[in-house]
Amino acid sequence: MSELSIQNVESTHPVAAAEEAHDDHGHMSHEAQHNNMKLAFWLYLASEVVIFATMIATFIVFRLNNAEVVKAVHEEVSVILVTINTFILLSSSWAMVMGLREIQRDNPRGLVRWIGLTALLGAVFVGLQYVEYQELAHIGIALYNQGNIFDGFGMRFYAPTAFHGAHVIVGVLWALYVMRQGQRGAYSSKNYTGVEVFGLYWHFVDVVWIILFTMLYLV
Amino acid sequence: MTEHEMTHSAPHAHDHHDDSAVVFGRKLPMPIYTAVYIALAIMTITEVLLFELPRGGLTIPAMIIIAIIKAGLVVWFYMHLNKDSRLFAIILLVPTVLVIVCTLFLMLVPVGY
Repeated sequence: MSELSIQNVESTHPVAAAEEAHDDHGHMSHEAQHNNMKLAFWLYLASEVVIFATMIATFIVFRLNNAEVVKAVHEEVSVILVTINTFILLSSSWAMVMGLREIQRDNPRGLVRWIGLTALLGAVFVGLQYVEYQELAHIGIALYNQGNIFDGFGMRFYAPTAFHGAHVIVGVLWALYVMRQGQRGAYSSKNYTGVEVFGLYWHFVDVVWIILFTMLYLV
Repeated sequence: MTEHEMTHSAPHAHDHHDDSAVVFGRKLPMPIYTAVYIALAIMTITEVLLFELPRGGLTIPAMIIIAIIKAGLVVWFYMHLNKDSRLFAIILLVPTVLVIVCTLFLMLVPVGY
């Protein structure tokens, strides 16, 4: 992928930018490496979009064809717990971006604190999701229901939410790694690609939850 | 993340210091990230209120529009698409639009077909 195509929107003339992308020895500049890593990660996120969107589309089609099943679930299940969980994930996204802000200001200790909060909130989210699953199981919503009022709902619900939960678990582990690297002084105001790429992942997980929350729990 | 990645410089270190929020020409006493967080919280509460209230014909479209706006705010500000290359936005939009079109097609398929 040419450097030309991934310049920032405010960047200078593309030809000049391309010439600056390599030093005298042909090595890629720091900015080119930074942009290439972000490009690679955005391509990965595009693949994730397809996976999650397929699951959400499956639920939407089920919802349209089985409105009475979803209505029965809404009548049985309170949205209080999942609303709290949504706020927790939104808060973790805010903490993440505040951590990035701190390292951009050359404050590694601030970064570690905010990313620590991000990891903590992510862990709480997973814990509360486990509690929610237990409640749903108690009501009788299983992965495979047949012959009861929740017929067909479980698989369409658990697949996207559990897959998302797995992403949160990976994100928490990644946050701990970023914290560790931050404590070791691996990041600074001139070197925070690792933090920014983790942020892209975490915010994407947040975006997915925003859609899941509305489509699975509210609509 | 590799050692190589950790030792290179990021390009925007100079342009992140003034990140205060400006709404309708007025500068808010908080970073843009915090303003976005508050907006997300308000919209989430609105969605839940819509869910709890008796449903009208516009309830579901309203909730979906709010969710799209929330997702857009996160992508635009938290994932920095407002500053980054347009290519990243295209990479995100292509699969999203493709899946929406496929879903609309699936919605037209009769039950039991």
